[in-house]
Amino acid sequence: MTTERNLLHAQSILGDLTTDWSQPAPDRYDAFVQPDNLVAVVTTLHQDRWGYLAAITGLDKGPEVGEFEVLYHFCADAAVLTLRVIIDRADPVMPSICGVMLYASPYERETGEMLGITFAGTPDDAWLFLPDDWQSEVFPLRKDAVLNGNGGGDA
Amino acid sequence: MTQPANRKRFTVPIGPQHPALKEPGHFAFDVDGEIVQSASVRLGYAHRGIEKATESRTWVQNLYLLERICGICSHIHATAYCLGVEKLAQVEVPPRAQAIRSLVAELERIHSHLLWLGVAAHESGFDTLFMYSWRDRETVMNILEVMTGNRVHYSANVLGGVKYDVDDQQAATIREGLDFLEERTLHYLEVVSTDSLFLQRTRNIGVMDREAAQLSGVIGPTGRASNVQRDVRLDSPYAAYADHPITPVYETTGDLLARFVVRLREQLTSIDYIRMLLDHLPNSPLTTRMPRRVKAGEAISRVEAPRGELFYYIKSNGGDMPDRIHVRTPTLCNIASVAQLVIGQHLADVPMILVGIDPCFSCNDRTSVICQDGQRDMWDWARLRQYGIDHYGTHYTKDLG
Amino acid sequence: MMELLQVLVTMLIFPAGLFLLANAMIYQWIDRKLVARLQDRVGPPWYQPLADTVKLLANEEVLPHGVNKWLFIGLPIIGLAGALTTALYLPIAGLPPAYGFPGDLIVTVYMLSMLTLCLGLAGANTRDRFSMVGATRTLTQLFSYEAPFLLALLGPALAAGSWQLSDIMAYASGNWLLFTQPIGFVVVLIGLMGKLEITPFDAPEAETEIVAGALTQYSGRGLALFRLGQWVELVIGLTMIAAFYLGGIHNPLDYVIKTLFPLLIIAALQTLMTRLRIDQTVGMWWRYGALLALVQWLLIFLMGGGQ
Repeated sequence: MTTERNLLHAQSILGDLTTDWSQPAPDRYDAFVQPDNLVAVVTTLHQDRWGYLAAITGLDKGPEVGEFEVLYHFCADAAVLTLRVIIDRADPVMPSICGVMLYASPYERETGEMLGITFAGTPDDAWLFLPDDWQSEVFPLRKDAVLNGNGGGDA
Repeated sequence: MTQPANRKRFTVPIGPQHPALKEPGHFAFDVDGEIVQSASVRLGYAHRGIEKATESRTWVQNLYLLERICGICSHIHATAYCLGVEKLAQVEVPPRAQAIRSLVAELERIHSHLLWLGVAAHESGFDTLFMYSWRDRETVMNILEVMTGNRVHYSANVLGGVKYDVDDQQAATIREGLDFLEERTLHYLEVVSTDSLFLQRTRNIGVMDREAAQLSGVIGPTGRASNVQRDVRLDSPYAAYADHPITPVYETTGDLLARFVVRLREQLTSIDYIRMLLDHLPNSPLTTRMPRRVKAGEAISRVEAPRGELFYYIKSNGGDMPDRIHVRTPTLCNIASVAQLVIGQHLADVPMILVGIDPCFSCNDRTSVICQDGQRDMWDWARLRQYGIDHYGTHYTKDLG
Repeated sequence: MMELLQVLVTMLIFPAGLFLLANAMIYQWIDRKLVARLQDRVGPPWYQPLADTVKLLANEEVLPHGVNKWLFIGLPIIGLAGALTTALYLPIAGLPPAYGFPGDLIVTVYMLSMLTLCLGLAGANTRDRFSMVGATRTLTQLFSYEAPFLLALLGPALAAGSWQLSDIMAYASGNWLLFTQPIGFVVVLIGLMGKLEITPFDAPEAETEIVAGALTQYSGRGLALFRLGQWVELVIGLTMIAAFYLGGIHNPLDYVIKTLFPLLIIAALQTLMTRLRIDQTVGMWWRYGALLALVQWLLIFLMGGGQ
């Protein structure tokens, strides 16, 4: 059971940097991480060569909850470790992990422009996908985004 | 160019409209003479906001939307989505449907790799290989058409199973086509690994060793050409790959040549795999019942697209529409490596290095380009095809062999 | 009066004018058709080059910002004129050359290079990046193939002991130089491919890197004239090869057969090869091309060909 061993190993090296753990599926662990600890967690995983960063998913919990959740999915064979970072919707700032793994840059650019999250220290924050004439205050993947077709393109 | 300030940064833009790119993307390369100094990327020229659109469509409607993210790997997008939603709904898909999903996926891989071979050959100016490989691609498209009625958007998946079965006659047609494709693929493998002029353009060009490949998060055939042993079909088997493991293909040199060889050898494995699947198609129904509402929760679905790992994150809050679907396509993983790979290379090699990762901007941009004729004249496929042959036959040549 | 008429006919109709243009279009079509059939494609209809030219001539010629207007308009004309002029000294269609003087071989070769030079200047004249890179590559390539190409053409001249085309041809009619100077034949054939910028020497107009190279900014008439110039060059080059290496040209049938043979070889080579990078092209010409041409010269001297 390499999958389980991988996940347990991740848990053991990250133990004190995380706040909580859960196992939503047999091949998945979720680790809840404070934004301040994110870079340390990613560095630990990187130095341990634990899998690779498969994706960064940004979730909008909606204006009522007032939170964004950013998920960092790491994959090692069948094992998927998801780092869940919750940030304030009113002040959406995340530390960038590009200093540890440069290839996170496109993921951070995408998440940043779609949800309006600032990744502090990301090397390139130019829009990756949005059109040049897009209204800069409209973030399309926010639940309360008003997309009437006038946002600068067909939304 | 005349001002001294510009002299240091002579930027050659590639895209959004450029003959090297079959899809829009923008790359700016700063060159000194013919040598590239730095590169930057801008995408999104084909962005349609499909992720946002999924949030206002039902689970079933989304299948058709997501399938249209990409024109080449449509089936694998639908498969990733179906697997994820089925996981959430805790639905067990019958084994025959699983096998057919893998079958179509491998045919799609052959289709995609042949397409890539042509494009990559064209980038290097080897138009004969381009023409030949695209001619042979017709064969695999015909096979897919025999199975599903469509050449590009096969639409083989439904939530809880597949739409199409394979009968004995179709299996025979598929085998016949595969024999031809195997012969051709072996020939191309010989061409790319022995043609000395072509080798000058591929050997030791754009080299990425294993360490660099791992550090830059490269996946799929691009990674496997650098001996990065990642293949979701093997690492986290889905569909039929659990019962029938696939033989992975690795190369060690990590140059453009290795990327050619890996993809061609993968075609051969796919051909073998399809033959094996046809021999061992389990007997079972094709679909199972799927609830209209999907239980709350989140699922991660990973599949091996022709270009590498395709990652779906699906979140449901118990309704008949998803709360969030996030698609991470293989190109997004690999595109960062291009910007590093091209530095120090000749401008002439840039298009090949770029194409070496088999980028798919449509996938990346989550778009669909739907061509619709002004008038809808119902022609069946045979008629359309005959029209094409007649058209070119009478208009352009009398001696069409 | 009659003399003036004769000059006008020579310049405008045969061999330098309309006839040569028509000939060039047909040969261009043959080349494209051959390549297409070798690549298992259908290929264009016979009137395609004519249709292309007519369409381009009818198109608006866009004058880009920041170019020297007179150069932009003048260069295609000079280039085409240079290519057409060479026809005066060659046995086009198997008929004797219209003019000739001792040393016309050198004039012919330089007239042919004028088109390439005009191409390079045209690219450098615009401010477009693709044109600039294309122009650099065009001129770089000119310097790489030119010397071996010229050396290979001078081989027959040495053997014949004359710098006049008609003398060389008279000598070549008796001696098939293809057999006595095979190395020169190979070099000149491949040099012609370099001159015409066809695969594998199409780096100056590599569409996947620099769109159309030096001609990127050209549209309409300018593009049509440059294209025509290149097509004419194909015919001139083939004629020279046939006249020098394939036993001379004596009648129209002879002309057709002996020029189509090298065209077939060119088409086949073009189909078989991939594009070389510009540094690889230069390296190849200086490492092998020039060397081979010199070896051929040495052999001519050793065999006592150069009296």
